[in-house]
Amino acid sequence: MTLRSESPALDLRGISKAFYGVKANDDVDFELRQGEVHALLGENGAGKSTLCSIIAGLYRPDTGTMHVYGEPAHFRSPKDAFAAGIGMVYQHFRLVNNLTVAENMVLGNADLRMRYSDVDIERQTHEIGNRYGLPVDPQARIWQLSVGEQQRVEILKQLQRNARILILDEPTAVLTPQESDQLFRTVRQMADEGRAVILVSHKLHEIKQVSDRVTVLRHGRRVGEPVATADATPRELAAMMVGHDLVLPTRDPNEHLGDVVLSIQDLRVRNDRGLEAVRGVSLDVRRGEIVGIAGVAGNGQRELAYAIAGLRRPVAGTIALDGVDITGTSVTSRIARGIGYVPQNRLGMGLAPGLTTEENLGLKAYRKPPFSRGPFLVPKTFKDVGAQLIDEYDIRGVRPGLPIRLLSGGNLQKALIAREVTQQHSVLVARSPTRGLDVGATGAVRNLLLRERDGGVGVLLISEDLDELLALSDRLLVLFEGRIVGELTSDEADPARLGLLMAGHVEETA
Amino acid sequence: MTTRRFVVQPRGLAPLRVTLLVPLLSVLAALLVGALFLALTGNSPWSVYSKMVDTAFGSSRGVSETLISATPLILTGVAAAVAFKMLVWNIGGEGQLLFGAISAAGVGIWLGDGTPAALAMPAVILAGAAGGAVWASFAAVPRVYLGTNEIITTLMLNFIALNLMNYLVLGSFSPWRDPESTQFPQGRPIPEGARIPEFFNRLDYGIFVAVGVAILAWVLIVRTRWGFEVRVVGDSAEAARYSGIKVPRKILGVFLFSGAAAGLAGSLLVAGILGKMDPRSLDLGLGFTGIIVAALARLNPLAVIPVAVLMGALNNAGPALQSIGVPSATVRMLQGAILVFAVAGEFFIANRVVRPEKLVATTPATGDAAA
Repeated sequence: MTLRSESPALDLRGISKAFYGVKANDDVDFELRQGEVHALLGENGAGKSTLCSIIAGLYRPDTGTMHVYGEPAHFRSPKDAFAAGIGMVYQHFRLVNNLTVAENMVLGNADLRMRYSDVDIERQTHEIGNRYGLPVDPQARIWQLSVGEQQRVEILKQLQRNARILILDEPTAVLTPQESDQLFRTVRQMADEGRAVILVSHKLHEIKQVSDRVTVLRHGRRVGEPVATADATPRELAAMMVGHDLVLPTRDPNEHLGDVVLSIQDLRVRNDRGLEAVRGVSLDVRRGEIVGIAGVAGNGQRELAYAIAGLRRPVAGTIALDGVDITGTSVTSRIARGIGYVPQNRLGMGLAPGLTTEENLGLKAYRKPPFSRGPFLVPKTFKDVGAQLIDEYDIRGVRPGLPIRLLSGGNLQKALIAREVTQQHSVLVARSPTRGLDVGATGAVRNLLLRERDGGVGVLLISEDLDELLALSDRLLVLFEGRIVGELTSDEADPARLGLLMAGHVEETA
Repeated sequence: MTTRRFVVQPRGLAPLRVTLLVPLLSVLAALLVGALFLALTGNSPWSVYSKMVDTAFGSSRGVSETLISATPLILTGVAAAVAFKMLVWNIGGEGQLLFGAISAAGVGIWLGDGTPAALAMPAVILAGAAGGAVWASFAAVPRVYLGTNEIITTLMLNFIALNLMNYLVLGSFSPWRDPESTQFPQGRPIPEGARIPEFFNRLDYGIFVAVGVAILAWVLIVRTRWGFEVRVVGDSAEAARYSGIKVPRKILGVFLFSGAAAGLAGSLLVAGILGKMDPRSLDLGLGFTGIIVAALARLNPLAVIPVAVLMGALNNAGPALQSIGVPSATVRMLQGAILVFAVAGEFFIANRVVRPEKLVATTPATGDAAA
């Protein structure tokens, strides 16, 4: 392939791709210049991932043409795309956990393995890592690495294969702000070397920070022409992304702070591997406040939530609700005592995917009248209460007999929260409640949480989304390696301070 | 550019006519394949099929014999349907049926002639259900508390039950063996008082028990709290734990219910048409046919009833084929083909296969953006 210096790295024209009759990409043009960082902005479901997967050879477009460095390209598999110099770092890493970093580097690349010894590979990995500010121990096994380090391995893999076009799919979703900054420096460096980078994101500040140009997708179509990032304000970009001006709800100062409703003392909880994941957490939640728990995923959030919901017995410590010790009680008893729980895994844990919406809405109340009478269910109650909640919480797409899994993410979450808040409850534990939702649904969910707070419920918001935490929390606690390493009031909290705490930099306090 | 002739689109929720039509077409397709096979082997498919229909439904005796064959299949079908629906892979209906028969005959023989029918008959029938549940528990308890794979254990327990039955009658002088059977060992008849009365040719009231259990299974699953919990467990064990349902207990309950239904099939045979534990009349693979019944009924306990009648008709017609020079195993071949097509048919219930231009934008439901 001859490399014509003047031709764009990628030139896509009229790309369409439909899944099951739904157009994920509809007549999309996309141009990626050499040496630029090009952000692909859009809400969930806007078609960003589909477009990237087409570029990476994972999907074949229904219509449209693609040129790579001026040459027509017809990829039949990711291998073809890779041969053309295109590398993609997926949101879900493609790494083998039990192999070392160096072994993962050569995985699927028999050529490299033939030419170089293990030592060579390790040395190369080390060199590339240092050159790009992505240091990682070549001999470490993947499972020993943090999520951020695993991502570095993915990027190093593409660099070692000398990918000239790099696609990063929502790379910062798993990173602390500081790690993100480092990543962006690397991205910049790669672009300066003449590589072309596609950055998929829906976070405006990142796009402002690192990209040269932005292409916005909405409902599978491109919105307007690509714009130079410097010329666009975040507000304009947001409006392009959502189609109209939209301001997400944020908290007002809380006025009705009540008594402590949930009190946790020296809690220790093990994870699935039997290791202590929560290592001595103490916290109080009062009625009428939202307490945010910030932290990078995997620092004990799951185990903390499980322990409060009664799904995992703590090794030590106590959990008290309204002053009553409930540490040893069952899930059922905690539901009855008024602990609502919105788990991170909506479909599969919070909701039974194959049951109908009405049945799922009754999943916590079915034990008692009016949902059941003696051993028998009362179908009419399921129907009536279901219809009422579906209407009240604006849950869309429900049809009689339809399994709930066929609803969209936002509607699933509305159904789940509707059920949790309509039980008799005084505490609501919510984990990443707006993750994966589009802006409209995010706003609806945030409003529901704020309404709970104003209604005198103690809300524990466990999230990895700093924007959400800052917008909603009255107080913020930072969880790092199973411990609370910092507490900030809403006035003191800002992303930079939080980021440092999330990365384990404990503040020296007087 | 690629243009595809047909595109597969998931349906989400299949309309009722599709869920009814697809199994019917599956049976039809199986019959066509059978016809092809018969034609290739030099038989006339038409005469074979008409002989089968005539044998199974052409006379009052044919109908009663068909229903007699259907009775145990309703129960083994329910056993498989209930378990499979909850992702409990109990393929041990065969062994549970046999151990149910052993238990029923044992209780009948132990009670002897003196016991009044009002006591002996229910005792024998319930002994079968209990026996089936006990046999299932050998697989169920390790599954629930140790995580063993019930596909393997239930399958292996089938062979143990079969050989136990054969040993009791053919290989030993146990109480189950008729001491008067000198030529060829036979099961010892249970007391007349414990037998279920006949009401239509040789058909006995046991069929109502079977139909009753099918209805009971449906009511339990669809209309009770227990059934609701079981459905949640079957759908997602994690969601069940999350909502406070004790998952191991539910799985155990379903497993034992399934075993009891299969065991009941055994006791209805012993207390009904057979009157004794007769190894040759019991070793017919009724438990396995129940799996076919459940699959074709799409795991719905009520749909099991008509499907069991269909399978019973095939079983009933089998031996009659020999009179026109066709092996009775033809019926087994047809049943196998029906299972294959029924399972394949699930694809067409779950998906539409259409020309690209006929695609409809259906689910996932929209509505987030406008909220």
